[in-house]
Amino acid sequence: MFTEAYMQRALVTALLLGPLCGLIGVFVTARRMAFFSDTISHAALAGIAVGFWLGFADPTLPMVAVSLGVAALMLWLKEKTDLLTDTIMALLLSGSVAFGIVVISLLKGFRGELHRYLFGDILSVGPQEVWLAFAVSAVVAAAVAVRLNALTLLTASEDLAHVSGIPVRRLNYAFVLVLTVVVALSIRLLGIILVTSLLVIPPAAARNIARNLRQQLVLAVLAGALGGGGGVALSYRFDLPCGPSIVLTSVALFLVTLVASRLRRASGKALRSAP
Amino acid sequence: MAEIRFHPGGLAIESRGVRVTLGDTQVLRGVDLHVPRGKIVALIGPNGSGKTTLLRCLLGLQKPDAGEIRLFGEHIGPKVLKRVGYVPQRLPLDRSFILSVREFLALRLPGTAGWFWQSHRRTDALLRDALEGLDLEGILGRPLSGLSGGQLQRVLIASSLLTKPELLLLDEPTAGVDRPGEQSFYELITEVHRRHKLTVVLVSHDLSMVYRHASRVYALNGVICCEGTPEEVMSADSLKQAYGIHVTPYHHDHGPGHHHVH
Repeated sequence: MFTEAYMQRALVTALLLGPLCGLIGVFVTARRMAFFSDTISHAALAGIAVGFWLGFADPTLPMVAVSLGVAALMLWLKEKTDLLTDTIMALLLSGSVAFGIVVISLLKGFRGELHRYLFGDILSVGPQEVWLAFAVSAVVAAAVAVRLNALTLLTASEDLAHVSGIPVRRLNYAFVLVLTVVVALSIRLLGIILVTSLLVIPPAAARNIARNLRQQLVLAVLAGALGGGGGVALSYRFDLPCGPSIVLTSVALFLVTLVASRLRRASGKALRSAP
Repeated sequence: MAEIRFHPGGLAIESRGVRVTLGDTQVLRGVDLHVPRGKIVALIGPNGSGKTTLLRCLLGLQKPDAGEIRLFGEHIGPKVLKRVGYVPQRLPLDRSFILSVREFLALRLPGTAGWFWQSHRRTDALLRDALEGLDLEGILGRPLSGLSGGQLQRVLIASSLLTKPELLLLDEPTAGVDRPGEQSFYELITEVHRRHKLTVVLVSHDLSMVYRHASRVYALNGVICCEGTPEEVMSADSLKQAYGIHVTPYHHDHGPGHHHVH
């Protein structure tokens, strides 16, 4: 069934980005950065609009650039003002979406394009996206492996990380950079609206059945692969929008692990109460 | 009495004229602090006295607006912080992050830095050697977020000791710990102090703990308003300076030697 080249590209990209999102999603959720990631993905809409406006055939570059700019603005406002983090993110999220939609409405002929960026489209994954996904996955996986202890301690407590000699500020910025690039790349498949789900659902599914961080990381990577790969296959088979297919597959996986964890807990209780 | 490492002329903590203003409030108004090496001391003060801010300054988490702090004669930076262990009151851990005790401890020990790739048995063996006497083996597999206050504290102390610090800073160590837990905490700290011969600073608002366990007490209220042996500092006059006029230490049903500020 996966004979078409575009389908193979979409599947390979999903099998690269799904696990990658699962891996960094563990840290994103533990650091309560899901809304942050949502803001970054919605900022991408402004980037796409700017790309169309400036005549880019492929808006990946402006998308990443504007998302990074908004992420930097978010960090700057957080440091320099007394505004609540939630307020800053809501401001930038709605501002970027409104800007993107206004610009795309003013430009003629791009409204159809909007749909595929909002909900994801397997047809939009070109050969260069596959290579980009491959390169980014390799670099990020290696970086996480090398800095796993620092990242874990940072997630447990920034103060402890600082006292242990970890460059907290630098690592925080690097994490935001990685998150922004991964989110921008994943938009092709998942769409702006749903991209954060791949950072949240696989780690949550893993959390249901994991007993420690090592298990959670491994299971989140697996869940990301199953959700991403399964969703692309569903999208192809039933001609469904790609993003929602990936999300529903991941949600199904989450429910399975939830039931599994309940059953395990129930049987554990039964064993303990047995005479 | 155990042998105590003492470096003549070298203080564990030395601060001069440390000032910090947060927002419109002058939290620290010229703190002069001299903590000798090798003792268990207490830094006490009521809420809002600047304890936490001073602790953050000592850890390099807050830059003073004026004044100077030295640890072991050195300016605060990554180099000297290697010699410092910090035991926070709690961890801002999210329940979605299922870090086990074993994994958390392994982060700090050079030999177990590869915990992700090595077997639990190997990690546990290395941790066991490093954590002799801390009695954590039964909970190594438990998630950090599911521990009781006392267990978490024991884990945090263990974690801070893994890097063999010479100075241990503990933030409100008896908050969130019940009475029996408090007793075992003091036994643990006394044992750690005896075994590792380090300087221990207990930062607390609770005078009762100070009285029996610290050899020297520093009372903070924007400035160090009095310091001395616990008996000296517990005298009503100096306490009034630290805690305001409405407080009197008195004995009640905790048994002899326990004082609370009311």
